[in-house]
Amino acid sequence: MIEIEQRRLAAERARSIRALLHEPMLTPAHAVFGDARRHREWLRAWFARECGWPLIDSPAVVRLRKQGLEGDSSRGAELGGIALSRRRYVLLCLALAGLERAESQITLGNLAQRLLGLAGDPKLVEAGIEFTLGNHEERRDLAAVAKLLLGMGVLKRVAGDEQSYVHGSGDALYDVDRHVLSATLAVTTGPSLVNAQDIYTQIAAVSTETFPDSDDARNRAIRHRLSRRLLDDPVMYYDELDSAETEYLTKQRPHLLRRLTEETGLVAEVRAEGIALLDPNGETTDYGMPEEGTEGHITLLVAEQLARIHRETPNSEITQDSLLRHLIEIAPTHRTHWKKDATKPENLKLLLEVALEKLVALRLVARRNDTVLARPALARYAYRPATITGGQR
Amino acid sequence: MLSSPFAYLDAPDGELYRRVLAAFTYAKERFVVHLRPEDIAEFLAAEGRVPLETVESKLKQLDEWGNLRSDPDTGRVVTVEDFYRARKLYQLTAEGEAAARAVQLYEREIGRRGELQTVALEDIRVRIRNLRELGGETNPDPAKIHNLLLELFGRLDSLASNAQAFMNSLQRTVDLHDVDESAFLAYKDRLIDYLQRFVSQLANKSHDIAGTLKTFDEEIAHRLLTIAAEREAYDAAFDESADAVAERLAEWEHRWSGLATWFGPATDRHNQANLLRQRARKAIPDLLETVGILQERKTGHSDRTADFLQLARWFATAPDDATAHRLWQVAFGLSTARHMTGEVVDAEPRTPWGEAETVDIAPQLRATGTYTKRGRPRKIEDRTAARAKLAEKAAKEAAELQSAQRRLATGEPVKLSDLGQLDRLEFRLLLDLLGNALAARRPGRDGRIHTTTSDGMLGIVLEPVPGGAIAEITTTDGVMYAPEHLITVIDRTGRHHD
Repeated sequence: MIEIEQRRLAAERARSIRALLHEPMLTPAHAVFGDARRHREWLRAWFARECGWPLIDSPAVVRLRKQGLEGDSSRGAELGGIALSRRRYVLLCLALAGLERAESQITLGNLAQRLLGLAGDPKLVEAGIEFTLGNHEERRDLAAVAKLLLGMGVLKRVAGDEQSYVHGSGDALYDVDRHVLSATLAVTTGPSLVNAQDIYTQIAAVSTETFPDSDDARNRAIRHRLSRRLLDDPVMYYDELDSAETEYLTKQRPHLLRRLTEETGLVAEVRAEGIALLDPNGETTDYGMPEEGTEGHITLLVAEQLARIHRETPNSEITQDSLLRHLIEIAPTHRTHWKKDATKPENLKLLLEVALEKLVALRLVARRNDTVLARPALARYAYRPATITGGQR
Repeated sequence: MLSSPFAYLDAPDGELYRRVLAAFTYAKERFVVHLRPEDIAEFLAAEGRVPLETVESKLKQLDEWGNLRSDPDTGRVVTVEDFYRARKLYQLTAEGEAAARAVQLYEREIGRRGELQTVALEDIRVRIRNLRELGGETNPDPAKIHNLLLELFGRLDSLASNAQAFMNSLQRTVDLHDVDESAFLAYKDRLIDYLQRFVSQLANKSHDIAGTLKTFDEEIAHRLLTIAAEREAYDAAFDESADAVAERLAEWEHRWSGLATWFGPATDRHNQANLLRQRARKAIPDLLETVGILQERKTGHSDRTADFLQLARWFATAPDDATAHRLWQVAFGLSTARHMTGEVVDAEPRTPWGEAETVDIAPQLRATGTYTKRGRPRKIEDRTAARAKLAEKAAKEAAELQSAQRRLATGEPVKLSDLGQLDRLEFRLLLDLLGNALAARRPGRDGRIHTTTSDGMLGIVLEPVPGGAIAEITTTDGVMYAPEHLITVIDRTGRHHD
């Protein structure tokens, strides 16, 4: 009985860790919120120990501050599967700035008025970002930003809807959740205090962490860097590590992996080129591999084709065109499995693009202009005829 | 020397400094730029004489703070003393002028408006009292009543529009929209002082007004308004026809109800005086928070609004979308982790990926892109008849249940022993209700159990009857004995019983 109870708690904790890795800001709208709140002390200690990531919690939000990331261009904000444009990022930040000063409730129209005031900032005008609310398109942008904020939990819709605002026939009323709002940033230094002109310096400046200058602290920092990559990224290749990290890993690998897999339900695949933590539950990730559906299937088939060529002639660069030809060739056999019209060459071209983006995001391939280069872990997906086990029926 | 054009606000003689500067701005509006101390003294004399020495020392101080600039005065003099006195001409500096203007803005926007409203409130208070007195007379003077009412509503109109403007400018200040920050910081104490005064005045006066309004019963109010309406109709067209009077009366009644909601009971959502007070009171902590933000900014702490604005600028100047995505991930840290799914392939840690076993992919998934086999869907049977039968049965049950509910949910307390003969369904419902009540919660302080059925349709109040009597409930299936209780079943669905 006691053991069963222990197991249940461990499962709840693992689920909470996975949920926070997938969505670092949990609000009561998430099913797992209750578990995360219940285990918050344990989770805070775990994340602080393993990654040096602070966990903030209040009755309104449990937030894992994933600090000190290097930044990955395949993990931008998305809305309905479409990555945000720079313009929408700007509007999102302006909206957040406007909400900082808002009362506890706000309408979309009122938010727009605030944005108009903020968008007059000379630097923004200089960069060519204009916001006049003059047309349908701009209202669509604003509605998109509102949807993002709803998704983040910063806003809660009380009445009306964004669509009617876009058409100019109505408005939407929201509650502003200040707890969530105050937890939206994960910077280590406030951007307003950074006075750098160059974006890479800016990115580095807001994510720098300081730690005391002692052997212990240095080792802990190295361990945290490795753990963060293992928990957050699909594959960690050894050739991307610096000498101190490599040295640490050589000594401590089994110990480190045990710490990271024991409580999380992730499993480690260790190879000569690097380490991948796999997620059998598929709860920590946005893209799975393999996945069902047309896009998932094509991604798998492209991966297989690339892996085959890579096993035959390692390090060969494969052109996108040759991959497209391969897809066109095999498409007729899959016409009944795939979405309508997927087999048209122009659609296959788009689907190939999606597949390659996913493979890049999963760190299985690298792209240079229009050639594709397989990375070591892609070899996992080479085709091997299924072995039939068991007798004939 | 550091200029501090707002220093005079916190100086002991702040008021006098303010008046001196007002003299300069007043003169400047009439294109007089240079002023001598004598001119200032003369200007000040309008509000009480100030000795010339005092004026001179104040001017010197303002010169030091940077509000004024002094030049030697080379004009002709007519007395020996004047010749030996250090004579100077003063003019406003650009900074001094900006400061004076910023302060004026606050005075006008918030200070004066706040004062205006307390004056208007006082006027309303006095007039309502007068009206009440007139209402008590047996034969009041119609002209007096009419004038009082006209003045009363005139004041209420200006109060309402003024309150709106006041709140708006306050909100603008709190939001730091087009606000001179240093002026705001220098002026903050006065602003908060104003607000506190305003809030307390508003509380006292509107309470007084509301109290007087309560003493108007409908009849008095109606009589007064009718007198005003009659007089107006007569004034307008010597027309005392019932129609004209009724029309005017309706207008007056409408205005009167407006007055009543302005100062009505504090619980009323439309009580404007209360709303105004709440907003003004809330503005005080808001202002303090704004002050805090500004102070933080000055001391180099980051503030989130500034952070978000700065991020907006960075996103705007990012060289391409890929960099913008990186910035997003680093600054917000809201992105998902990403992992391969599926099973781990077992191999020695030193094995390269290219030499280890490959992943087992389900053949079905590899061949078709889905794990599940697809075949022809099964033929769908026609179930219309069965459905109709079910619907009929459900309708019959619902009707029976409703009649049982009607029988029990009377909304009146009934003793269990007085329920009379119950049929099977009624009895089942009663058992449900009792079970619900007894399982729901402990009795409240009044010794009764209050609860609601889980579907929210029926409310139950159950109260034990002291004395230990046993109630007999006869049903179609037998007799139930239970401790005597008073049961009240309330139908919460709003259905009317006939």
